[in-house]
Amino acid sequence: MRSQETAAVPSAPSAEPGKVGRWFRTLSKQKALVLMSVPFVIWIFIFKYVPLWGWTIAFQHYRPNLGMFEQEWVGLEQFRFLFSDDSFLRVLRNTLAMAVIKLVLGFVTAIALAILLNEVRIAFFKRAVQTISYLPHFISWVVAANIISTALSIDGGIVNELLMWLGIIDRPIMWLGVGHYFWGILGASEVWKDVGWNTIVYLAAMTMIDPSQYEAAEIDGANRMQRIQHITLPGLKPVIIILLIMNLGNILETGFEPQYLMGNGMNADYSENLEIFVLKYGISMGNFSLATAAGIFKTVVSFILLFGANSLAKRLGEQRLF
Amino acid sequence: MVKTKKGLLVLAVAMATALAGCSGNSGNSGNAGSNGGAAAPEASANAGAGEKAAPAKDPVTFTYFNAGAQVPNIESNKTKIGKLLEEQTGVNFNLQYPVGDVNTKIGTMIASGNYPDVLSPDTAIDKVLDAKAFIPLNELIEKHAPNIQRVYGPYMNLMKAEDGNIYFLPFSPVVGEYISNPTIEQGAFFIQRRVLKEAGYPKIKTLDEYFDLIDKYKANHSGDKLTGFTSLIYDWRTMGIFNPPMHLAGYPNDGDVIVDMTSHEAKTYSNTDNTKNWLKKLNEVNSKGLYDESSFVNNYDQYLAKISSGNVLGFFDYGWQVNQALQNIKKTGNDDLDYMPLPIVFSGVEKDQYLDPPSFVNNRGVGITTSAKDPVRIIEFFDNMLKEENQVLIQWGVKGEEYEVDDKGRFYRTPEQIEMLKDNKTQESIGFSYFNYSWPMYGGGSTLADGNSFNAGRQPEVAQASFTEGDKLILEKYGAKTFSDLFAKPDERPWYPAWSISLEQGSPAQIFTQKSKDLKLKYFSKLVLAKPEQFDGIWDEYLKEFNKLDVKAYEETMTKEVAAKIAKTQGN
Repeated sequence: MRSQETAAVPSAPSAEPGKVGRWFRTLSKQKALVLMSVPFVIWIFIFKYVPLWGWTIAFQHYRPNLGMFEQEWVGLEQFRFLFSDDSFLRVLRNTLAMAVIKLVLGFVTAIALAILLNEVRIAFFKRAVQTISYLPHFISWVVAANIISTALSIDGGIVNELLMWLGIIDRPIMWLGVGHYFWGILGASEVWKDVGWNTIVYLAAMTMIDPSQYEAAEIDGANRMQRIQHITLPGLKPVIIILLIMNLGNILETGFEPQYLMGNGMNADYSENLEIFVLKYGISMGNFSLATAAGIFKTVVSFILLFGANSLAKRLGEQRLF
Repeated sequence: MVKTKKGLLVLAVAMATALAGCSGNSGNSGNAGSNGGAAAPEASANAGAGEKAAPAKDPVTFTYFNAGAQVPNIESNKTKIGKLLEEQTGVNFNLQYPVGDVNTKIGTMIASGNYPDVLSPDTAIDKVLDAKAFIPLNELIEKHAPNIQRVYGPYMNLMKAEDGNIYFLPFSPVVGEYISNPTIEQGAFFIQRRVLKEAGYPKIKTLDEYFDLIDKYKANHSGDKLTGFTSLIYDWRTMGIFNPPMHLAGYPNDGDVIVDMTSHEAKTYSNTDNTKNWLKKLNEVNSKGLYDESSFVNNYDQYLAKISSGNVLGFFDYGWQVNQALQNIKKTGNDDLDYMPLPIVFSGVEKDQYLDPPSFVNNRGVGITTSAKDPVRIIEFFDNMLKEENQVLIQWGVKGEEYEVDDKGRFYRTPEQIEMLKDNKTQESIGFSYFNYSWPMYGGGSTLADGNSFNAGRQPEVAQASFTEGDKLILEKYGAKTFSDLFAKPDERPWYPAWSISLEQGSPAQIFTQKSKDLKLKYFSKLVLAKPEQFDGIWDEYLKEFNKLDVKAYEETMTKEVAAKIAKTQGN
């Protein structure tokens, strides 16, 4: 996006007859780019802007069988129900906590693995590790959740067996039955499932770092750790920041499947997130208005976070999204 | 010559129009099919008329989403019964079943407005009705369905919605005399037969006696890694821990309430001593290491696998829900691992009421949706199913293959046939799994015109023959002929079952059901797994939370609905 801006700048001074003319001149120069972006603008408009019409549902007592003008308008009642519900704060806390865990763990592990892989010199070993760590990404959560709950089971689950054999615990622990373990289990599962996949973008970014920098550092006597610290990590910084901003925008999207599939009455206090709340009180009870209201709430929070993070990056003089 | 050719042409055109009429969504394909006369539907309607009376119609495939069963999806004409029905009517069904949460699936259908042609929404029926997704059937039934009129006639009042329309056909219209089930399909405390055998087949009645037996057996066989007692608590299948207090107190399954026999007042029992005593017992049992802690985290598959393993000594469940696992055990042929259903009650309760009173469940059923391409064809198919010979086909199979008839006209099954039908795969390929429920049908316990039982399983000849040697032995030890003999006869309850009462979407009563379920799920696990000395403290905390909910609105609504149902049944 930046490169487009800079490309546009040189053409500016040559234009005399006012702003409008300049604008058209630029437009005609970049018509290929503009034409290429048209399908995507249309796509975004149809799939992201037109559905906003549906937000009106949040202010109604919506009945699917009635037409638009027969609906009963209830103002902010759905929002009132949402925010005044006892469990809402708990659900919000869970959502945020799981999001932060996912974000932090996801970044740290992916960057660490990418750096380690980058340092590996044996191509076969590197490939093997990459393939193995990508694999879980392609397993659907339904299957993954079953694998995890079997591994954590108290009747011969491998985790309990292993810990007992090592003598760390003396009787099996019901991992999924203890609420405050849930965040940890979820974090670990997410890492297991996605760490390999997440390294791809960092590995790609590392290939962009000029090898002569490494050579120069080596001649100056920098050891491996110092090279990672002073060349690899700063080289990755722009990618990390852009990804961070984008992920902050999605922070309330903590996912639905793992929490739904591994959640149960015993860990509900920690596993229930906004999505599940919406499913229970919105979709399952046929209250589409409430589900929409929750969706609006999420969008607003995401919006604030995205802009907040972006302007923070701007102020710190870092690479930013827009 | 020319004339004939012209005539042929005219005929061909007429045929083409007729065919077009059939596949289009015009409401009068019945007429079109018989080339302009209303003769066809009537001919096919006369029960007992030969199946070739109606001209075969062009083949058509409808979709049917059935939320009430969990079997693999299939084209109905891939099954034996489905094939025969297709030959009679030309109708094939693409049968679809839920994976995961039914409410979500139906919610998505409603949001999109796209339905299968035929829908049986099971627990989500209120939402479907609320969305007006079913078309009214009154006129269709009147015009095209004499068999539906015959079978459902006496129940029409109970089937009508408030606006006087009938939107779906329930599954329980009893035809003829009522025959009760010899085996237990409903709730019971199950106990493994080896436990009873080792104790010398004692007659047990109370919850304490029940757990004492399990305790003793487990102590004697401590090396065997046995599970004392397990429950199913997953998704909507929470009855394993929610419902026993009601049954232990001597009431049948009325869902979340106990309905008083004289005042007809509906009261939730989740905040009463019945529930407290039940959980306290589980807590005590758990502290002895008899309760399966993983009950609270297992899903339905894991639960069934656990019971099928034969290592579980006891559990509470409904026969229909655990049947798969019980069949698996029967297949091993080891009678010791098989289970015995018992009507356990709290001490002090005189009479158990586990067996369902004869009842008409009017909030489960199958309906035709607004998306249906050709409602007339569908209603004709339904009507054709309700012919007595087709009801026999669907429940009993084909004469000489799945059942036999003796010289007195009584239906029976040979031991080989019974053995063959124990296999779930065979049940599926014949089509019993797909057709013997969730369609317009005679209700369970009905009698055929010739005196045979409508359900094969309730025919005494079949029941006796399908008992294993072990079944016969244990029944003899307890002095009973059938398993249901051990249970008390059900009292009459005109409102029964209260669980079939539907609550308005988004009403305080409906929100109460969701909230109380969440609360119970959260606290019941804590209560059962807590140290015994902490139990009372947690119970008080739970009561406080529970009573914060809108209990009053729920109980008032239920009481009102019970009264309304009584009025409807008796004013019939």
